[in-house]
Amino acid sequence: MADRNTFRLMLLILGLVFAFLYIPISVLVGLSFNEGGLPTAWTGFSVKWYGSLLEDADILKAAGNTLIVAVSSTILATILGTLLAVGVEIRRRNGKWLETIIFAPMIIPDIVLAIALLSMFSLLNIKMGLHTITVSHVVFNLAFVCAVVRARLKSFDWSIVEASADLGASTMITLYRVVIPVLMPAIVAGGLLAFTLSVDEFIIAFFTAGAGRSSITLPMQIFAMIRFGVTPEINALATIVISVSVVALALSQRLNKGGLPGQ
Amino acid sequence: MTQAFLSIRNVEKYFSAVKAVDDVSLDIRENEFFALLGASGSGKTTLLRMLAGFESLSGGDILIEGSSIANMQPNQRPVNLMFQSYALFPHMTVAQNIAYGLEMEKLPKAEITERVNAILDVIQLSHLAKRKPDQLSGGQRQRVALARALVKRPKVLLLDEPLGALDKKLRSEMQLELKRLQHEFGITFIMVTHDQEEALVMADRIAIMRDGALLQVGSPKDIYELPGSRYAADFIGVMNFLKVKRTDNGFAAPDGTAIATAHVSDGVGEGDAIAAVRPERLFLGDAGDNHFDGTVSDIAYHGLDLLLHVETELSDTPVVARMTADVADNHRPEIGQRITLGWLARDTHIFPA
Amino acid sequence: MTTDRRPLLLMTPALLWLTALMVIPCALILVLAFFRRGIYGGIEYTWTLENLALVFDPLYFRIFLKSAGIAGLSAAIACVLGYAAAYAIAAMPRRRQPTLLFFAVLPFWSNYLVRTYAWIVLLNREGLIVNIARWLGYNGELPSMLYTEQTVIVGLVYNYLPFVILACYAPLSRMNPEVTEASRDLGASAWTTFRRITLPMTVPGIATGFVFVFVLSIGNFVTPALLGGGQFQMIGNLVYAQFLTANDWPFGAALSMVLILVMLGLLMAQAVVAERASNGKGQSDG
Ligand SMILES: Nc1ncnc2c1ncn2[C@@H]1O[C@H](COP(=O)(O)OP(=O)(O)OP(=O)(O)O)[C@@H](O)[C@H]1O
Ligand SMILES: [Mg+2]
Repeated sequence: MADRNTFRLMLLILGLVFAFLYIPISVLVGLSFNEGGLPTAWTGFSVKWYGSLLEDADILKAAGNTLIVAVSSTILATILGTLLAVGVEIRRRNGKWLETIIFAPMIIPDIVLAIALLSMFSLLNIKMGLHTITVSHVVFNLAFVCAVVRARLKSFDWSIVEASADLGASTMITLYRVVIPVLMPAIVAGGLLAFTLSVDEFIIAFFTAGAGRSSITLPMQIFAMIRFGVTPEINALATIVISVSVVALALSQRLNKGGLPGQ
Repeated sequence: MTQAFLSIRNVEKYFSAVKAVDDVSLDIRENEFFALLGASGSGKTTLLRMLAGFESLSGGDILIEGSSIANMQPNQRPVNLMFQSYALFPHMTVAQNIAYGLEMEKLPKAEITERVNAILDVIQLSHLAKRKPDQLSGGQRQRVALARALVKRPKVLLLDEPLGALDKKLRSEMQLELKRLQHEFGITFIMVTHDQEEALVMADRIAIMRDGALLQVGSPKDIYELPGSRYAADFIGVMNFLKVKRTDNGFAAPDGTAIATAHVSDGVGEGDAIAAVRPERLFLGDAGDNHFDGTVSDIAYHGLDLLLHVETELSDTPVVARMTADVADNHRPEIGQRITLGWLARDTHIFPA
Repeated sequence: MTTDRRPLLLMTPALLWLTALMVIPCALILVLAFFRRGIYGGIEYTWTLENLALVFDPLYFRIFLKSAGIAGLSAAIACVLGYAAAYAIAAMPRRRQPTLLFFAVLPFWSNYLVRTYAWIVLLNREGLIVNIARWLGYNGELPSMLYTEQTVIVGLVYNYLPFVILACYAPLSRMNPEVTEASRDLGASAWTTFRRITLPMTVPGIATGFVFVFVLSIGNFVTPALLGGGQFQMIGNLVYAQFLTANDWPFGAALSMVLILVMLGLLMAQAVVAERASNGKGQSDG
């Protein structure tokens, strides 16, 4: 019997938790449209803080860098992660070690991976820049793509692969003409996820960007700005960053029903 | 008259607009083995869940020994439900599962252990007491679920398709076992089943449900031999339905041959009607009160019995006649042969078309 | 059969990538932890245990303990809130649950820095909370809300709560409702049913949630740096300092190594809990 009071309690809990989750972000987004820019008073709706972002050369440069890193690491990770997922699922019986190595990038504390990469790059005397950030981002991105694609493969009907082989297709043609098209929604969903993760990633980028400001990314720029305190420009920038994630994630979710890792 | 043990009075259940249980009234006697029979979606589970306390009543009342239990919480009712999915606690052993309900009664530890061991003996699972449910076979799980409910010695035990998940052989074994346990414990059983044969074999009385309402209640013999409606006749056992017409002095086949009958159900009006007869009541030849001609279209062997499928003008689908193989041996019909089938007036039921 | 080798071929590029850019660098850290720091901040290639010993020096070990305390408290709070939220979501009508879950998890996928920054906006001296207090007529001194240990904990809970909700929702939604009904039927109250049936059956979700929040918190660098203020140090900040300011890489590596070991230990413990629970998974799995 659905107890009405219990149900009300559940609604209350949900209300409180969602308030906790969304009030801070909403305040931030709201303030970014405040003409005066201060939380003291609402002086009217305005997008002027967004306009001032466009005049800030540092921010534009950082945004460009972020885009380069995110796009290239997403492409690489999507290819590598998809192949990995297909291989792993065909093979079925994979050792604990293999599973751990595939899983590790998703859970390893980012500071640890960051310093590990920094140590290796500097010991090998590799000059750091956007390229090192990119290859480093591929590490965790490919793991996420792999997880999303694998989730899809769990419900994959392998007999269509056999059917394709039976009809005379080689393994590569089967992969290209049968497996990849069926997996496409999951692959794109994984790619979108990788893109947002890369756009948002801060610590690994921070450690593997090398000296100087030439390869600063957007999160690094935001981190530097935050340390100076709250400004309306940061609010606007933060709102844009949140929107990018939300849109990419909503798309990803739509393409791939319930296929986020862990879900 | 003595008061009924379990009394269900004008019970109704709506799920928003859907009427799942429609004005059901039923008196069940102590120690009775009662079967609820009906097609999928007819409201059997809903009725049981109302008895157990998991669905509120939209109307009516439920009484046990004269006092209402309609507003009692499930954990306070002297009624236990054996779930269709068994609903065993996966993190507890067999013994812990069975002990759970007794612990809720705050019985002394020693008594709990004793009663758990005793019932484990009864269901012959003592050797598996320490196993977890997922290490048991389907039949073993079923027995644990039964023991878990039985050990509390409820006044009424509700069973929702208790044998539904078992294979055919295990099923008939468990049917006997359930009967035995019911006698041994002297508890009132209300069992839901899809399977009319199971209901006929096991129950003292059967209720047929349709669209949430009770269609007919009676002993297996009554229900089988005196179905109250075409639906009940069709639902229980196999029944042949023949097209007949009302005439001035009775009923007749389309070709005008009179059809004698002993049972005319309510609502039979002028014009078309349906005559029903069981396959085992048909015999070869024209010796009975009624008879018709037809062509044998198929012969199927069922162990000792022979099923003849006979095409006739009286029915759109072939009529089925069941005869023991030795009867048929004498003049065994062949496919394509024209034969005459006869039957008696007392085995003929007339229903509205 | 030849087909056995083809999947390996598909996996090779990714595995090589992970080996070159994760396994080897992490192994390098482990090695680095046993070298000596050079006089000018470089690395001197002689073996030593000094770095590890230094981790357990009271000065630094205190930071370790404090980090663990903060991480533990954050994880515990996140688990309580997250479990309650997951339970509430699972109690809603089935068809609404995916949407609720999506919105509960959405913040988790948006920028970590931004989410942390949102609390600065809320709590700083000119922030919304202070303004609300003034507006309500309170003009006295407000306790410092930013740059305290509590703020760091709030930040960590806030950032990782969605993950706990996700982890706890999975086993809750997989529970067969008839199992809890069976408990009620056998005479247990709603509370007893929760304590003896629902909670034990969903412990793996809580364990997963706890371990992840703990691991992500204890090595966290951003939240203490932004919400804890300049002087506030957790292990993550200490590691950061060794690499970027103090230039003592071997010590930073030793700290990381201990961090990795703690993490591995916890993940193993969590695997054990999951394993135990799956021994009795039975009918509940789909
Ligand atoms: N919780 C519910 N919400 C809405 N409708 C319900 C609910 N439970 C049952 N119903 C509806 O009530 C009717 C009766 O369902 P019930 O489960 O009692 O049937 P049943 O006789 O047990 O069927 P089966 O033999 O398939 O188990 C059905 O139409 C069903 O769709
Ligand atoms: Mg049912």
